[in-house]
Amino acid sequence: MEDKEFNRLLKICRIKLNENEYSSIKNDVEEIINYFDSLKSVKTDETTEAFHPILIPEKTAEDIPEEFDDIPAILKNTKTYRFYVVGPEL
Amino acid sequence: MKIGLEVHAGLPTKTKLFCRCTNHSKEPNTAICPTCTGMPGSKPVLNNSALKIAFSISKALNCSSSKTIYFERKVYFYPDLPKSFQITQKECPIGSNGFILLGDKKIRIRRVQLEEDPAKILREDGYTLIDYNRSGRPLVEIVTEPDIQTEEDLRMFITELKSILYYLDVDVEQEIKADLNISLSEIRVEVKNITGTKNIIDAARYEIQRQEKLINENIPIEKETRSYNEAKMATISSREKESDEEYGFIFDSDLTVYDISKIKAIKPIYASSMAKEYSQKYGVNESQILEAIQFNKNSLGFIERFEKNYKLKNILNSISLLQRYGSKNDVETLEKVIKIIEQGHYPDQKDIQAIESGKEITINIKVANTQEIDKEIRSMIDGNKNLLKESATNKKALNFIIGNIAKKLKVNPRLVSERLESLLSSEHKVQ
Amino acid sequence: MNSIEEFNKKQRPGDYYIKLNSELVKLNEKLNIFNTISQENISSGFLFSVKDNICVKNVETTASSKILKGYFPPFNATVVERMKNNGFSFLGKTNMDEFGFGSFGINSEHIAKNPFDERYVTGGSSSGAAAATAILKYHIAIAESTGGSISTPAAFCGVVGFTPTYGSISRYGLIDYSNSLDKIGIMARKSEDIKYVYEKIRGPDSHDTTCVDKKCTDTDKKKIILIDQLITGLDVEIEKEFLLFVKKLENLGYTIEHRSLPFIDKAIPSYYIIAMAEASTNLAKYTGFKYGLKNNDFSQQYNTFFTNARENLGPEAKRRVVLGTFVRSASVKNLYYSKALKVRSLLINELNKILADGFILSPVMPIKTPRFEDTNKLSPLEVYKTDMLTIPPNLCGFPHISFPYSYLHGMPLGAQLVTKHWNDTAIIDFVSKWELSFNYDFKYNLGVLR
Repeated sequence: MEDKEFNRLLKICRIKLNENEYSSIKNDVEEIINYFDSLKSVKTDETTEAFHPILIPEKTAEDIPEEFDDIPAILKNTKTYRFYVVGPEL
Repeated sequence: MKIGLEVHAGLPTKTKLFCRCTNHSKEPNTAICPTCTGMPGSKPVLNNSALKIAFSISKALNCSSSKTIYFERKVYFYPDLPKSFQITQKECPIGSNGFILLGDKKIRIRRVQLEEDPAKILREDGYTLIDYNRSGRPLVEIVTEPDIQTEEDLRMFITELKSILYYLDVDVEQEIKADLNISLSEIRVEVKNITGTKNIIDAARYEIQRQEKLINENIPIEKETRSYNEAKMATISSREKESDEEYGFIFDSDLTVYDISKIKAIKPIYASSMAKEYSQKYGVNESQILEAIQFNKNSLGFIERFEKNYKLKNILNSISLLQRYGSKNDVETLEKVIKIIEQGHYPDQKDIQAIESGKEITINIKVANTQEIDKEIRSMIDGNKNLLKESATNKKALNFIIGNIAKKLKVNPRLVSERLESLLSSEHKVQ
Repeated sequence: MNSIEEFNKKQRPGDYYIKLNSELVKLNEKLNIFNTISQENISSGFLFSVKDNICVKNVETTASSKILKGYFPPFNATVVERMKNNGFSFLGKTNMDEFGFGSFGINSEHIAKNPFDERYVTGGSSSGAAAATAILKYHIAIAESTGGSISTPAAFCGVVGFTPTYGSISRYGLIDYSNSLDKIGIMARKSEDIKYVYEKIRGPDSHDTTCVDKKCTDTDKKKIILIDQLITGLDVEIEKEFLLFVKKLENLGYTIEHRSLPFIDKAIPSYYIIAMAEASTNLAKYTGFKYGLKNNDFSQQYNTFFTNARENLGPEAKRRVVLGTFVRSASVKNLYYSKALKVRSLLINELNKILADGFILSPVMPIKTPRFEDTNKLSPLEVYKTDMLTIPPNLCGFPHISFPYSYLHGMPLGAQLVTKHWNDTAIIDFVSKWELSFNYDFKYNLGVLR
């Protein structure tokens, strides 16, 4: 994999690697993708994708409001300002 | 010129798309739970009402649907997106290949998809403030083919779409959000995140002019994403956003595949085609009917109820009188007003208020006969000979006379107009 | 009568648990089994621990990741709620490989050590769950498996580890690794305790779409199938011990049959592609301001802010996020992600045919329990390949159970029995029968009644 392509991947997933990590992880990634390529030999033309290992029957919820019982506990995990959650600059 | 549109509209459900927090809240972060804030460990469960409404919208837009649908994760990083992915639809949307008719023109709908809204974000100096009340609310995204060819078509399309959505209970008072793509040449330019009908049209106008100018000056148009600046009323080049390559859509396996073939869609109402039908049936101006019913279910209900008993023109006049002066909007009041108008009288604000408060209205309205009207017209003409001369060429002056007399006698202006016409023609004969 | 019911019938003096607690804290300093030990004064009930990727309300839950330090879930996982409602007492959160990313338990800030011998790994990713089960007498571990995270540590620590059919225990409250693969399961010292707990915690949950309401069957009790590809390439001593075990089973009256499934090795790439693709979306939410570790410099532009916060992910997590992002990129999605889903579909079909005839038996790991220094010699890919025996049932959602069948050089050896979907109790019953002719050994028995 070209450095350019690898760097693009890192940027997409917002991952920064230090120098040591960079070469070792890039090596591993290349080796593992090569290994993944072994799937090409399996014939799958007439197969559909198995999104789940079993059949998941449909399950939906009724449109009835239900208040979460501990909203302060959610907000305690964040920094808040006048009931807003504080986030980074745009 | 080709214009395509992606419109986002909120669905009229009580709860959010994947959790049971209320859709209607005011104070920041009061309608939140682990799911819509993306807390680790939370899971989504689909709102069946959102599914039904989205399906109904896609059917109202004449879309075809596959038997089953599913949801995918669209990954991108932005502070308003709690999971850093949006649950949306890519491969298997709720509807596709539909259309909206604008008179004889057909605007094709490419797809209708159901997805979750991100949180509301306020930009501050050095930080942002986030309100998750909006996070997870159900949206439909409606994507058109680039079939819109003029600014007027764009305006009509948006109004027609909003009317269809209005009749499916979508709150169209809330500003719709849209992305535009406009191409005057082979190159497509996207304008993202425009809020409100006016801004959408202004942005389109600006972008059309901008591209025309470039073409005239032989400057190549760039394929790019732009944003609309409301204050400057201009589109501005924005840095390239992520594409499908980066979003890396995958099936959301916290959810499953949903069978939509058995959902009974809510019956759509097309106000524009109903206005056309009524117009043809009763000979009333189509746009007057459309104006009354395009965004008004009550009015449509009144018309449907009374069209066999009263003149459509009188029903429409009564509706507009009640809207102007009334506080009630019920069938009984309306029928009283219609009856008065049918008798040839024209109630004013005081009369409407009297009717609403249940007073015997006949006391307040003088019974006017044609002789009385004629008398008034004559005295008006006698008092101002010039007026009569002017009236031959000046329609405004004529209307002024009619208005004044109708007001004074509390009669239907049409009646005055009829009398005036016959009197004037006899005057002319005498001369 | 099983031991949990027996235990719950007797009166328990409160000070007994206080004593247990001090013993436990001391041993934990040595073995790094627990991330959190409950400060509640436990006064009654059988104890249960919870893998640290499962939410317990107001108890720090980190999935052993630095990036989740300080996350206090505002709710209980359904499984935790059900354990508490059935009279079990919460003891603590067990250590694990960060987010479940690992086979040996070494991808954690404080690495858990094997109670049989501290020089050896516990196995992962449910490292603490297995080790806790190996040191505590009256205890149930709620663990989780994505690709072998219950079977492997259970085998290395000599306990019974059960992974049910995908979707039979609610995942509500489980911090996602791979949503179509993650399964909450149970570890204990006796199979009948697992059966007891399984019946209490399984079943539908309105909070988890993928949790299915379905009755278990209980069939195929007599035939054992060995898949040739799964019993070749084993460590020589493992192979020898395993074949002896098979002989024992034959003597106990089971029929042994051999089958071949040449492309079963493709389960490994298929599994890792799906797992990493899903993981890369699940880990996208860790951006340093909503929960867990905070980046407090809000004036950084959000992309910089997020990237800086995500430096706190461990190396294996970074590796999997990058790979997962790659395999689902639009231009190569069909070659990797979609292809892997199709291979999974083929494997389910093929394994279903085999499982219709009987249980599949294999060792849990093709290698002996490694010492810590041995693991350094392996590349990530070599580590992935050691999961060759646990991945097929995990990829395909088949219930499986790992249990000790022998001891070699003082370390336990584990076998894995797999059955068809929803035939869960049959494999638990199988192990119960095995336990009639084989005694499990433990070095520690914390909490033994005086």
